[in-house]
Amino acid sequence: MNSERTEDSRIITEVLGGNFDAFEQLVEKYQGRIFRHLRKMVWDNQQVEDLLQETFLNAYKGLKGFSGASSFSTWLFRIATNNALMFLRKKRPQSVEYDDEMRTGEETPYAPASPEYLATPQSILLSREGRRKIEEAIDELPVLYRMTIVLRDVEGFSLKELAEIMDCSVGAVKSRLHRARNAVRESLISYYADRLTPADEKMGQRV
Amino acid sequence: MNVCQHFCDQLSDYLDGETRDDECRLIEEHLKECPPCEEIFRSLQKTVVICGKGVSDEIPDSVRQRLRAFLREHCGKD
Repeated sequence: MNSERTEDSRIITEVLGGNFDAFEQLVEKYQGRIFRHLRKMVWDNQQVEDLLQETFLNAYKGLKGFSGASSFSTWLFRIATNNALMFLRKKRPQSVEYDDEMRTGEETPYAPASPEYLATPQSILLSREGRRKIEEAIDELPVLYRMTIVLRDVEGFSLKELAEIMDCSVGAVKSRLHRARNAVRESLISYYADRLTPADEKMGQRV
Repeated sequence: MNVCQHFCDQLSDYLDGETRDDECRLIEEHLKECPPCEEIFRSLQKTVVICGKGVSDEIPDSVRQRLRAFLREHCGKD
């Protein structure tokens, strides 16, 4: 991670020196991850593309103000997140304003782990169908929870970096992460408990 | 099958290395003794691992090309 940070700093110095090609290196490096993050937040393809362009344009124009206190990736994801949240607040305010949609029920907060899910091999969980189910399980979450699980478990940011990107406390990050992970877990448990048969398992092992 | 709420509430933090040493020890001891909680833990761990691998960062070529053209057009002007 540190060498990545050093490499980004070197490229940023070149960009600030007037080398636009160097900026394209940063775009090349981060466009897939930013696209994924925006896609999971906003869903609508055209809006995602507009926000992707806006994010990199904002980054280019704001690069002089980048202090290096955080990593470039944290700074860039913060810009993308703010752009997406601004869009959502304007177009779908109800999707962002309520952060308590996932209060855990008092009586049965944890679905037991089904043996089917625990026994399902990664080849099935990460097959085309399995990946589609993972995406669906994440998409069922409210946006703030969706962002949290994607930034932590998909992008690998630390909790502190997440707090910075999402402009909230580490405690809020932990709480959302806990709920989001358990909701995805329950969704996957329910899916595999319903569908997996021994024949599926054998097929999955051949994939 | 009952799980122990207090321990399960800490499992996400535990996976992130966010629990204190004494809490870690208690959780680890509990997981050894309590099969339902141990299964919850394994299913949570499995979920975190497959989420990390299961969401593609593929970006369509057309989107990539339009981004490049957009930035070339807008970044040279200031």
